Amino acid sequence: MSATTATAEPLVPAEIVSSVFYGAAVSDGLVLLVAEVVDGTPRIVWGNEGATQLLGYGTDDLRWLPVASLVPSLRGAETGLLLRRERSARMNLSVRTASGALVGVLVLCTPTPGGRTWTLQVVPADSGSERVLRATADAHERRLASLAERSPVPTLLSEQGMRLAHVNDAFCSLVGLQAEQLLGTGWMATVHPEDLDAVIEQVVAVLGGHDGETRARLVRADGTERTTVIRLSQLFTPGVGAGFVGTIEDITDRLAFEARLEHQTHHDPLTGLPNRTLLAERVAERFRPGAGGLAVISLDLDDLTVVNESLGHAAGDELLVEVATRLRATVRPGDLVARPGGDGFVVVCADLDADAAVALAERIGAALAQPVRLGGVDVRPHASIGVTVQTAAHGTAEELVRDGDIAVCQAKAGGKGRITLLDQSARAEARDKLRLVAELREAIERREITLLYQPIFRADDRVPVAVESLARWHHPQRGPISPAVFVALAEEGGLIGALGLLVLDETCRQLAEWDRVLGDAAPQRANVNVSALQLDDRLHGSVVAALDRHGLDPARLQIEITESALMEDPASARAVLVQLRDLGVSLAIDDFGTGYSSLSYLRHLPVDVLKVDRSFVAELADGHTEIAAAVIALARSLGLTTVAEGVETEEQAAQLAELGAGFLQGFALARPMTGSRAAAWYATHAR
Amino acid sequence: MTVSHLVIPGAAVPTTPAATPSSDLEAVLSSIDTMAAQEPTAAQIVSMVDSDDTDARTLARILTSDVALAGRVMKLANSAYFGMRGRVTSLQVAVTVVGFPTVRTMATVALSGLDDESRLPEGFWTMSTTVALAAATLAPRFGQRPQDALCLGLLAPLGVALLHHGDREGYAELAAAEPTAAGRRAAEVRRYGIHAFRLTAVALEQWGFPSSMVTPLGAVDDHGSQDGALLRAALEVATRLTVEDHVPVPVEELTGGQLGEDAVVAVLDRVRAEADELRVAMLGE
Repeated sequence: MSATTATAEPLVPAEIVSSVFYGAAVSDGLVLLVAEVVDGTPRIVWGNEGATQLLGYGTDDLRWLPVASLVPSLRGAETGLLLRRERSARMNLSVRTASGALVGVLVLCTPTPGGRTWTLQVVPADSGSERVLRATADAHERRLASLAERSPVPTLLSEQGMRLAHVNDAFCSLVGLQAEQLLGTGWMATVHPEDLDAVIEQVVAVLGGHDGETRARLVRADGTERTTVIRLSQLFTPGVGAGFVGTIEDITDRLAFEARLEHQTHHDPLTGLPNRTLLAERVAERFRPGAGGLAVISLDLDDLTVVNESLGHAAGDELLVEVATRLRATVRPGDLVARPGGDGFVVVCADLDADAAVALAERIGAALAQPVRLGGVDVRPHASIGVTVQTAAHGTAEELVRDGDIAVCQAKAGGKGRITLLDQSARAEARDKLRLVAELREAIERREITLLYQPIFRADDRVPVAVESLARWHHPQRGPISPAVFVALAEEGGLIGALGLLVLDETCRQLAEWDRVLGDAAPQRANVNVSALQLDDRLHGSVVAALDRHGLDPARLQIEITESALMEDPASARAVLVQLRDLGVSLAIDDFGTGYSSLSYLRHLPVDVLKVDRSFVAELADGHTEIAAAVIALARSLGLTTVAEGVETEEQAAQLAELGAGFLQGFALARPMTGSRAAAWYATHAR
Repeated sequence: MTVSHLVIPGAAVPTTPAATPSSDLEAVLSSIDTMAAQEPTAAQIVSMVDSDDTDARTLARILTSDVALAGRVMKLANSAYFGMRGRVTSLQVAVTVVGFPTVRTMATVALSGLDDESRLPEGFWTMSTTVALAAATLAPRFGQRPQDALCLGLLAPLGVALLHHGDREGYAELAAAEPTAAGRRAAEVRRYGIHAFRLTAVALEQWGFPSSMVTPLGAVDDHGSQDGALLRAALEVATRLTVEDHVPVPVEELTGGQLGEDAVVAVLDRVRAEADELRVAMLGE
């Protein structure tokens, strides 16, 4: 709305008008023409120097030239568009020069106030900033398009909104369509309908000046889907607006690979069933505290070991696969079948009460009991099945699964092939045990397991020669817990290694401290009990480390091992004992006579001492000396010494000395004491 | 250089009143100027030259003072044509989506009263949106930007509205008597001294639209010129879609061989499908 009608300026002095006119007339940088209607035809009546130069007419030739013949593109009445009476006009036109050539110009035409005469300013059209801009933008776009065209990365170029101006070959082949089908908004049909909104959201963000990225599925022409990551950036065209450049990364294969890995880490490779980790996750997903309704059916195959050992592991695997197949076929749709490991399977069902769960367990038992042919033999698989139903007492999913384990243990304890619904008292007991194991673990970590030391005396002169380390656990709420209880707990809970190390280290530390405090009066040896589960390659290293740590000679330590522990795997036990003996540590067999030792084997074990069990010592009071006497005699004949445990009276002590026991230990002689009390006791007795 | 033979302007030349242009045309041309005063926001947007300086934020800010126009821009941005499916909620993004030339085109529509269908010849918008979409769809085949072609198509019939506005009955008679586009243009020249597209070109030029918009309008009848080829093809597509007994003119002829009939057939359905929505978005109804 720029043009306005020019008005005359009557007050300008004549000299100035004349000066301006002269300047305009002789200017060759300015092209000026004056037109007037002569005999009904608009004609040029004047032109300046610039006009004669541009148009190639002499001044006389220019005069009276019809405007229409100067601007041939304005046909007929169209000259009126240029020669307006009330306002100025601007038009891009072609003017015809004297030679007949057409020159592109911009004409600015201003009428004089009378409306009969017009001044025309003619500006030769140069390259024009608009054209340059446009050409630059076009070239830029072409470069970008050709770059994208050659790129192996599927690429989209949008001109406006979601409308594409270009797609490259890589994108076309990704979706299996021709470029023509994708341009404009055509490509939107390739985006999965559920993902399209997310893509548009990102485009909105990008058009608002941010970068965008989203995951989207693309549906190929053949109907298959590819999962992609679409990354978007703004593409601004000056004077026009903004679109986007989108690059597409096809992550379908990567996701599939990750999914495979994920599947492998969460599934049993043999049966394809969820493993323990996934079982826990799935149960947690379904578990609602207090809601009830979940049932866990745990199975333990009774025959797997037999099959493995008799028909081979391939047959065992075949059996497991068959069981998995039967389980899947027997449970309801939606029930979860998992194989947490070994010979165990778990079925988790929603909305099932105890009766229905037991009924399902029975169906499972029946389905499993059908014969399966393995290695040419018909085997009838049996499983012990434990059924647990969620109650208000179950605070977490883990508790429910754990109860499943307890239930199956109960079933197994009752004999093979049984189905047991979890007994509440057994659950309470098992839970209590689990809690105690957790507390024991903490107690060991915090070194709250303390040691008492009971002196061992030479039988003939009652001189204290050693101490036995006895572990004690004082539970903050339950009070003292019997070693028989917590050692068994440690063995079941996998804590025996840690407990053993604690006892070994603390004993050595105490010995070293006694050495410092008492000098020569310090106990010369300490006996440490070792569990059957500690009898492995690591024991030797642990003993060496403890002795080194506290600067003790190996002779200061005696390791006590129960008879039953030695007999679990005599060959490997012997190997461990030989290592210890070579180190210089002495060895004792604890509770001798309570197990079933092979005497011939005993002969080959590198032991130094037999400890006569306290039960045989107790019999002495009743006049039964036979076993104690026999053990002492046996030891002597094997060249071993004996320690009689549980000596509670002076009479027993005298009797045992008479029977030939080498050493005595018991309440009658000295009670177990703390390390510091023992130091005081030894200080007194040394004097 | 000499300064001889100078003639003083306005002196000593016999004059007679102009035979042409007709007074009607003069009135039509004058009306172009008075429109601006009635639609100041639209006028401001139209006068913003499309340059590097134009930015979405400024355009959006100006647009907010014309609720009706802003609403149409939002509606168009969310129309099926741009594929944004109603997700555009900010005017600035809407301006970016439709593009600055389109905003300017919409402002021109508002400015020239094209948004009031009661003042337009029957079927005006059906025709113009069809031309616009045909032009936009075919643009890549002519190496042109679809957005520019869309704007050109939308504004091309502006001259028809202007002629109709100044001479409602006369124009209706003329239109009824001349069913073909070329015939009508010839009749317009006979009656008004100018045909409608040329008049559009004059108005757009007056408002500072770039020559890429103006030139094709002037060249629409010059079959030897490639400048008008896209517009001729788009007009032909639109006529085939909107005029019942139209005898198709081969597009090879209209485009100097740049376009074949198969290309036209391929776009017919898409143009027909999108034209109505574009019309609704442009008119805000």
